[in-house]
Amino acid sequence: MKRFVVIAIFLPFLLAALVLTEDELQLRIKEVAKTLRCAVCQSESVWDSNAELALQMREIIRERVIQGESPAEIRAYFQSRYGDFILLQPQKRGMNWLLWGGPFLLLFSGGAILFRYLKQAAAEPVLEQSGDPILLDPKSRERIDQAMKSWNG
Amino acid sequence: MDNKGQIRRWPLFLMSGLLGLMILLYLGLWGDPSAIPPVIINTPAMEFSGFEMYTGRSISLSQMKGKVVFLNFWASWCRECKLEHDSLLDLKKRYADRPDFIFLGVNYQDKENLAKAYLEEHGNNYEHIQDLHGRISIDYGVYGIPETFLIDRHGMIRHKHIGPIVGETYANLIETWIEPLLKESE
Repeated sequence: MKRFVVIAIFLPFLLAALVLTEDELQLRIKEVAKTLRCAVCQSESVWDSNAELALQMREIIRERVIQGESPAEIRAYFQSRYGDFILLQPQKRGMNWLLWGGPFLLLFSGGAILFRYLKQAAAEPVLEQSGDPILLDPKSRERIDQAMKSWNG
Repeated sequence: MDNKGQIRRWPLFLMSGLLGLMILLYLGLWGDPSAIPPVIINTPAMEFSGFEMYTGRSISLSQMKGKVVFLNFWASWCRECKLEHDSLLDLKKRYADRPDFIFLGVNYQDKENLAKAYLEEHGNNYEHIQDLHGRISIDYGVYGIPETFLIDRHGMIRHKHIGPIVGETYANLIETWIEPLLKESE
């Protein structure tokens, strides 16, 4: 009898702990929906899209969260239907590494080319400074001198 | 000279590689999702059920075991569905004497009255169910309509066609898929 009383007292607390509140449920739905692509929109997540299909996908996520499925399991379901395309963040495997590494490769390679170019430019021999604010090679200096002379008569 | 040539050539190779990578990433961003090979081919077709739009008869995939199923997703608002509608009617007529070939339309994100009006206007000779909550279309990985699936006698999805079935596609579908699937034994 004592045991039943204890259970009766603690049962509501236990249930409250097990049942998700609407806010918690929304958070869990968001966690999954943010990582899935709306299949009929370009580059918009299921969470952000208002397309009919996105709403229906959110409803499925909701049901699966309530059934106790983990985010990974829910994502796996959509992936099994639509393929990798449905994941906003491509999985790190196979050709997908190009997507992950490509932008960094572009950045570093661009940087290396720029660095090499600047290094070469800096290594080129600097013309001797003649005290003038503008650097001129001897041939140009000669032509200017001749022009000045002819100008002065 | 050779060494110098090699040294000078590497930025060219690098630039070509980078350009290729940029093109690949760009194409990936704006590519057509329907061009992605479907992952559900050769996987078991998901069970579905619904009520026939006119008769109210309960229809489910499990009732069609041992038969070849032609599953077409369509809607009254879909322009490309109108393009293929005559082909679908022809196809059904062509296989009218084959009770082992089931034709089923799945009305996608539509209103029943509009769907019925569409069928009355364009003709109808097979059964349709409504996918009211998108469950069937999501289970079948439908991106956009029209999309058509061919399910074999063992309940495996063997073919998915995205887009209207017209002209060459129609002939190709019969020759490459429907006839061989109908010849397969249970």
